[in-house]
Amino acid sequence: MKAVLFLFALVCTLWQCVHAQIPSEQEQHVTSFFNSHGGSTSRHTNNWAVLVCSSRYWFNYRHMANALGMYRTVKRLGIPDSNIILMLADDTACNSRNKFPGCVYASAARDLDLYGDNIEVDYRGYEVTVENFIRVLTGRMDPSVPRSKRLLTDDRSNVFVYMTGHGGNEFLKFQDNEEISAFDIADAFEQMWQKKRYNEIFFMIDTCQANTMYSKFYSPNILATGSSELDENSYSHENDRDLGISVIDRFTHHILRFMEGVNKTSQATMQDLFNVYDYEKFMSHAGVRSDLFRRPLDQTYITDFFGGVSQAEVMSPPLSLSPSSNEGSEPENVPESELPVELDQSLDFTSWISSDTNATSGACTKARREHAECQGVGVDWTSSCSCRMGWE
Amino acid sequence: MFWRNNILAVLLLCCTWCLATSEEFHEALTFRPLQDGRLATRFTFTTLLRGAYPRDPSTLQEEDESQHYAIFPLALGQVLREYAVTELHLTLNAGKWDYDHWGYPDEPGVGTGAELWAWMGESAARSVDERWKGLRNALSGQFCASLGSLDEQRTTSPELTFRPEGSLPQWGTTHQLRHGTLPSEHVCTENLTPFLKLLPCKSLTGIASLLNPHRLFDADWHGLGVHVRYLENEGIEVRLSFQSVFDPVRYSNGRRDWSLRSVFDRVIDRSCPIAHSSEIRVAIPKEETAVAITPDSYTTHAGFVYFNVSNASKPLDISMSWPDEQKFEYGSSQSRGRLSVSITNHMPITIQTSYLESMPWLLQFYLHSLQIYSNGVSRDDLISIVSYIPSVPHVRPTLFQAILTLPPKSTLHLSMDVIKPFLRYTEHPPDAQRGWDLPPAVLVPLLHSNSSTLDPGLSNPPSGFEQLRLPRRMYTPVLLVDLATPDFSMPYNVIIMSCTLIALIFGMVFNLLTRKFTLIRVSPEPK
Repeated sequence: MKAVLFLFALVCTLWQCVHAQIPSEQEQHVTSFFNSHGGSTSRHTNNWAVLVCSSRYWFNYRHMANALGMYRTVKRLGIPDSNIILMLADDTACNSRNKFPGCVYASAARDLDLYGDNIEVDYRGYEVTVENFIRVLTGRMDPSVPRSKRLLTDDRSNVFVYMTGHGGNEFLKFQDNEEISAFDIADAFEQMWQKKRYNEIFFMIDTCQANTMYSKFYSPNILATGSSELDENSYSHENDRDLGISVIDRFTHHILRFMEGVNKTSQATMQDLFNVYDYEKFMSHAGVRSDLFRRPLDQTYITDFFGGVSQAEVMSPPLSLSPSSNEGSEPENVPESELPVELDQSLDFTSWISSDTNATSGACTKARREHAECQGVGVDWTSSCSCRMGWE
Repeated sequence: MFWRNNILAVLLLCCTWCLATSEEFHEALTFRPLQDGRLATRFTFTTLLRGAYPRDPSTLQEEDESQHYAIFPLALGQVLREYAVTELHLTLNAGKWDYDHWGYPDEPGVGTGAELWAWMGESAARSVDERWKGLRNALSGQFCASLGSLDEQRTTSPELTFRPEGSLPQWGTTHQLRHGTLPSEHVCTENLTPFLKLLPCKSLTGIASLLNPHRLFDADWHGLGVHVRYLENEGIEVRLSFQSVFDPVRYSNGRRDWSLRSVFDRVIDRSCPIAHSSEIRVAIPKEETAVAITPDSYTTHAGFVYFNVSNASKPLDISMSWPDEQKFEYGSSQSRGRLSVSITNHMPITIQTSYLESMPWLLQFYLHSLQIYSNGVSRDDLISIVSYIPSVPHVRPTLFQAILTLPPKSTLHLSMDVIKPFLRYTEHPPDAQRGWDLPPAVLVPLLHSNSSTLDPGLSNPPSGFEQLRLPRRMYTPVLLVDLATPDFSMPYNVIIMSCTLIALIFGMVFNLLTRKFTLIRVSPEPK
């Protein structure tokens, strides 16, 4: 009996070894697709962003502006609203103290309104709590929580986590009521790693003593940066005389200035971003932690984390889009039947993924209008709160 | 390329297709200049799905039949089918509606904050409470509002006050009402964005292109509403509305004149091709001063001026001015431990109204201390209590429904004692020193008691009452109550102090017990 079991186990392990050594043709096809254009060495296929402003009250306007500045950057570079979880602990734009209703500005010159006409805040007010933040990261939620409040990442997602507020040595304050510690975030990231909920994480934090918050991470593929060292404060950048409060923090302001020069097709790397760090400008020592990150920083594109650029290929023969009777067959076997729509070869696919700098005002609506005229692309409109496929 | 060149053909196809599947979309904008110089506006976007029925809750166990919508908002339709909702009303308002100066609103739901109520049929498969939880979470994700926190501590069932505005289908099971309010909810652009995405033309063309959040959220009062109801013999109607009260005197230098450009900072460039009717109505003020309205292409009927947006020349900018006026000159309690409401009846007849007070458990009524005074005279016969469900702390709110009789041309004062219990320290919100918002009380005027049938919410009152224009519901302003807040830093202080004491005492006692003084002979130094 024991001999039979031993033999069975031996056969099983040999079977596994043999199959593991030969990479299947499908895997080779997938790998060559992702490496075909000599592009980024990252293996991600989709991008997500979690932007958290954890401070309440009118005098913390700058923290809301920090988070909204990152929101605008991330949307402009291509991540759609359905892939962004924005948590704002208080309402600044429609606050009765706000002299400019519906607007949030990040500079005293008031040249750019960060709130815009097309914004979706997923967690707001009292819903921004430590518990909800950790639930968002780990995905452990009540079944009735709607889709727009969930982080639906998989093992090929690059996640950008940005946190801002008041903090200290290994903690960050949420709404002046409770705290999250560096250990909590590290454990949450480890849960995400165990559940294969990310490919790579870029963690950015702008608070006082921010670098202590990433000192406890222990999961692989995390790149982290913070605005100040232990025992150092992070400072605000400029005050607005009409609003009466500071409107942006130094660290985030300089990062956003750098990001204004980055667009969807930019080849700027993370090393270029970190070269912007300067003690003279920040008045604090911003830090970077890259020991858990397996790729070199000068080969990691900024758009790997901030942008929603995905690889697309233009197929030369026209694609049949009829609902064929055998759905599981290979594309080559589908007969080219008479269709109401055939994709025109002269359609310029890259124009769908155009670098539109006005992402927050009307780009999605423009794309929708174009879609209404072309019914053949098969875009799914059924997601609530936003449209998919990388446009907004 | 093919489609871009044949856009007209595509649009024609869309229009005929819409007619074939019998969905209709109507949009309207109404302006009403108010007596204190302000301007009340109301956007209404109505989509009617002909021949449709709400989902029978007894079929909740099975897979739902597939729904095909062309204009009807799919995201909202999916939520309604998933939870088998027959009637739904959601309003998100900010500001206080001044009934004295502004009259009655066109849409009655003007309570501050978020208010959600729904009529759902009972089902053995999934209970109404379970579906209510799913519904409010789904709507909170759809409209970016914190409706998920309308849990059982804030939900009541005031069936006398919130009658269904449509019809309830006869399935053999009764319908139940669930109602919750969040008076402290903010309204901002993130609530308007998904609202606009439910419209067929979004905010690109038609009347919806006037919805500019930077101007709307600057208004003195604004509120958006989503109302879904089932009309028998017609179908399911979704009405999206946005009401606001602007102050043109504030924008200009003391003049009441307004135009689409001055109020919304936008004009209508294109009309929505899918709309069956698209019109703008302006109420002519009933005063002596002359009023000029441009452009001239309007029709007049029953005190209103109508503009047809589809036919008007674009860009369309409507303006109203008072050319002879030089400048326009301009013209609300909480006692400690006592809740008072005062209601004034300006009419010459007796009015009966139902009075609903749903109070969170953190304010408990002493019903025996209820006092009614009419013009200074105590009149206990003017109130008759219909139902009183007392609160259970930490579990359930209070529900108090009564019928009040208001004598002609008099003011009624109603007051009762309340107690404010202590909350557990984990139940305080993060900004505990602000206090708690109390939901508004709701008054529904009923017909006079001489008529044998007391039918609240009758949409067609019998002859003789048309000119009275009784509103369907009135809301009182929200109140802010201060509860005793504990010292939140107390646990930290206690730990610090006790650790210090223990360290000192332990150190002293340990030294006393174990320290031994011994003499040491120090040898003399060698010379």
